[in-house]
Amino acid sequence: MWKSIVYKEWIKIRWFLVGFTILGMLGLGYVFLKVQRGFTFNGGTGFWYNILFMGMQFFGYFKYIPLLGGLIIGIAQYFPETVNKRIKLTFHLPLNENKVLLMMHIFGIVSLLASYLLLLLAFISLSSIYFPSQMIIESVISVFPWFLAGFAAYFFVALIVLEPVWMYRFFYALVAGFFVTIYIKSPVIAAYGPAIPGLSLLTILLSVALLFSAYRFRKGEM
Amino acid sequence: MSNVIECNNLTHYYGKKMVYENLNIHVRDGSILGLLGKNGAGKTTTINILNGFLQPRSGECLIYGENSQHLTPATKARIGFLIEGHIQYAFMNIHQIEKFYSGFYANWRPAPYWELMSKLKVSPKQKISTMSCGQRSQVALGLILAQNPDLLILDDFSMGLDPGYRRLFIDYLREYAKSENKTIFTTSHIIQDMERLIDDVLIMDYNRVLAQCPISEFMTSFKRFDFELENDKVNLKKELFVKNLEMVKNKVELYTYESKDFVEKFLENNGIVHKGFKQVKMELEDAFIGLTGKY
Repeated sequence: MWKSIVYKEWIKIRWFLVGFTILGMLGLGYVFLKVQRGFTFNGGTGFWYNILFMGMQFFGYFKYIPLLGGLIIGIAQYFPETVNKRIKLTFHLPLNENKVLLMMHIFGIVSLLASYLLLLLAFISLSSIYFPSQMIIESVISVFPWFLAGFAAYFFVALIVLEPVWMYRFFYALVAGFFVTIYIKSPVIAAYGPAIPGLSLLTILLSVALLFSAYRFRKGEM
Repeated sequence: MSNVIECNNLTHYYGKKMVYENLNIHVRDGSILGLLGKNGAGKTTTINILNGFLQPRSGECLIYGENSQHLTPATKARIGFLIEGHIQYAFMNIHQIEKFYSGFYANWRPAPYWELMSKLKVSPKQKISTMSCGQRSQVALGLILAQNPDLLILDDFSMGLDPGYRRLFIDYLREYAKSENKTIFTTSHIIQDMERLIDDVLIMDYNRVLAQCPISEFMTSFKRFDFELENDKVNLKKELFVKNLEMVKNKVELYTYESKDFVEKFLENNGIVHKGFKQVKMELEDAFIGLTGKY
């Protein structure tokens, strides 16, 4: 059954996942082109001055890319389930309704995680060309909440798309907007360091929010 | 014969609007039951309750003895479900969707599915979303046949189908159900289709069940009598034996479960002058309209 669930979810998101990962890589390419350009035109001293004393985040252009990934994968995975209420087919499969949804969700999370890991790996590899390890660690701490924001966006999309009542969808979207900005607020490098465990816990808690929308659907809310 | 579906004292409201109260229905094992009703009579509501997509305000539906709100995976595997409009995962092609479903059902039999698919003029990689309504209906039917369920719940299977596909669908379905002793609970807004398919009929009107019995019994016991009244002011609607009465000027269509003799005697004993009294043979659609009214 896992195999079948993975097969269906893969058919839904494969091109979106590949497309997003390529887009993310292009985004990273742009970030490091700017870094290269900074070193070339400002010189090493000038570039480091901007980072150390002007608070420049050389990877700032990357900020919204993980968030975009969460939105894309969430919509690609859950929107087709709501067209003509196809989610009824999913709930009719010979599995517990919550279990089948969580299986789909786990697949989405793993796919998104795989894409994020590739991007993070590329980020670290490219950073290591220009920066020392201490700077790379600080940068990874800075981008980590952005990846968490991507997961939060994915979880909120699932909650919103599966919700059967438009008014609730609108309300959830407002809540989602508020929550997601928490992850991407501070522009200071590594400012989120102490908050990462808390943000991670919050993200994990959000991961099961879709079960509430599914419960409301099965109750017949409309 | 045991009941596969039993709905007991089912009551549901949408807000303050009552759909029905204390509805009791049952479907016999191995029978094909057609649920007929006008738009808004509660057909889809009943299907949704049966499939666990709607929680009734009170009462319960049991399928194979389990509450339909909490069916176990093993019982769900015994139920084939056709959603109104033959909805399926339209982002797949016919190979992908067969591969997907086959992983869930131990009794999966691909042969009937591929037999139906061979009749469709579709390319192997064509997505279901690009198929015609009739082709999609065959995909949905083929998947149900391959699942090999004991109970089929079909919500308005004739929706969007041209006469040829409707006939193909019905002929396949009836042959399959009868040869393999399957139980079917179905709705359709095209009543001629039902006549070819069903054994038992359940007719619902707003808030209540008007009839539930074998279709042969319904068609012989429910009758239509036409006659012309001399005085068109005579009010026959209030009589208990009259199930429905349609009048255009002095021409009367009277629907009842009583016999021809009974009605004739009633008219005679009450001094209701009339002419041209005759019993009119009805198809199921005529009988349905006769029982529920034209509007």
